[in-house]
Amino acid sequence: MFGLIGHSTSFESARNLARSLGFEEYAEGDLDMWCSAPPQLVERISVTSPTGKRIEGAYIDSVFVPEMLSRFKTAKRKVLNAMELAQKTGIDITALGGFTSIIFEDFKLLREQQVRATTLDWTRFTTGNTHTAWVLCRQVEDNAPKLGIDLRRAKVAVVGATGDIGSAICRWLSQRTGVQELLLVARRPQPLADLQQELGGGRILPLEDALAEADVVVWVASLAQASNIDPSQLPRPCLMVDGGYPKNLDTRAAGDGIHVLKGGIVEFGSDIGWQMMEAAEMAKPQRQMFACFAEAMLLEFEGLHTNFSWGRNNITLEKMDLIGAASLRHGFQSLGLEVAAPIPSLSTT
Amino acid sequence: MPTVATTTSVDSSLDPVGPTEGSDLPDFSTDAYKDAYSRINAIVIEGEQEAHDNYMSLGTLLPDQAEELARLARMELKHMKGFTACGNNLGVTADMPFAQEFFSPLRNNFQAALKEGKVVTCLLIQALLIEAFAISAYHIYIPVADPFARKITEGVVKDEYTHLNYGQEWLKAHLEESRAELEQANRDNLPHVRRMLERVAADAAVLHMEKEDLIEDFLIAYQDALTDIGFTPREIARMAAAALMG
Repeated sequence: MFGLIGHSTSFESARNLARSLGFEEYAEGDLDMWCSAPPQLVERISVTSPTGKRIEGAYIDSVFVPEMLSRFKTAKRKVLNAMELAQKTGIDITALGGFTSIIFEDFKLLREQQVRATTLDWTRFTTGNTHTAWVLCRQVEDNAPKLGIDLRRAKVAVVGATGDIGSAICRWLSQRTGVQELLLVARRPQPLADLQQELGGGRILPLEDALAEADVVVWVASLAQASNIDPSQLPRPCLMVDGGYPKNLDTRAAGDGIHVLKGGIVEFGSDIGWQMMEAAEMAKPQRQMFACFAEAMLLEFEGLHTNFSWGRNNITLEKMDLIGAASLRHGFQSLGLEVAAPIPSLSTT
Repeated sequence: MPTVATTTSVDSSLDPVGPTEGSDLPDFSTDAYKDAYSRINAIVIEGEQEAHDNYMSLGTLLPDQAEELARLARMELKHMKGFTACGNNLGVTADMPFAQEFFSPLRNNFQAALKEGKVVTCLLIQALLIEAFAISAYHIYIPVADPFARKITEGVVKDEYTHLNYGQEWLKAHLEESRAELEQANRDNLPHVRRMLERVAADAAVLHMEKEDLIEDFLIAYQDALTDIGFTPREIARMAAAALMG
């Protein structure tokens, strides 16, 4: 059985979701009540691959909402309790979606293996980052040519290059895709220098300078504050793949030669018959989902009950190959560009 | 240098304050600690005493189970002695009148149900609510307890799971005929648990136990029991909301 741990994108949408799922009492509660509410197994799901294999899974809402980020202990408890529920439910492999893996990593929850009577078994969980990284690379490779961008002659900026997903993308793009030049953007100088050395190339640049040169921008950094990008400084055409969480780039701001694509999202070949992706504000909620969630399904399809994506900077090209092949085999497609109406300004929200 | 965050931190508040944040041990020797402990310790002692009495009473409603219930009751008395020793160890006199009054709403409801021979209601109050309340409180207490009390509490919590399990098993086996009574008993009693948690919050905070943790932990234990008994997630969420909304 596979599991997905997710949460709503805001307290308001969480309340609306609770109402639509018949959890009326929760919908009426205030944020303090939600802080004390236990995780909920809200949906059971079955998915059938084009190979004919059928798998069963469950969606667990951690009852976390981003408004709780400032409450360190609450956020930590939400993640651990949701993981405990997944394990107690007997789920073999669970993906940590949205902020769940971010909180797990940043709050160093590896130190918190004991949750009441349950010793968390890390092999039952995956961040899903390997599949996300593979999907983001695929989105670059599939969509840049559509805009007339020849990747062999293109400069590709990776914003958030030193993170788990970012560094995997850099490896793939430099070794597999053969882009002309990688522009490495990140906050901390030392990991950047280390990455550059590991890649044996790539140019380290501040964000603004990288944007002025980049034909393709892959965003995998999550920005603390809104930061404005001056679209007049960007080359045309420009493909921006927004793989951050939450999505920082407003797709409506695309246009005038700038194309923004929701990154790290896949579409399944048939309707899944679940309610949960409505909450994640997917364009086609019956088929689209975060690639990290899909990784749990893929691991279940493949019978790989292990923490496939775990820790930082452990994503190898071989693992990306493996999950990528599984993704194609089981009917997942990376989200492609849609035609966007031109709007003059581009900003991050 | 670049200014974009590359770690997945989205907010500076995401940075952990430290591995021991919120879990530092309190100073067990202060007057404030002992004052709060006098009430918390009394609640625990009284809770164990009432649990003993309630299991003995349940034996009168379920004569074929009387022996097993008497065994559970004896365990509760053993726990009571352990917790009394915890108070003595800190030089604290438990405020028993406070604790007796604290438990009175649940005790009164239990006694009323007992008179009417309502096994389901009695089991819900004692074997589900009080046990889940105890388990959650002990879980939250263990990391911040003094070494003496920690050892005792760790032993107790294992026993309490078997007690929760007893009620669970009985109710599971009798779910269909018990459902309506369980839902009514939940409505009548869960708000009391909520109020008890509210009342104890300030003293618990002195012991470094937070109300939010206590409520969520209680609901997890209660939710687990209801799941095992056979309620669906939506039914459980509806039932548990009575504790959250109070």
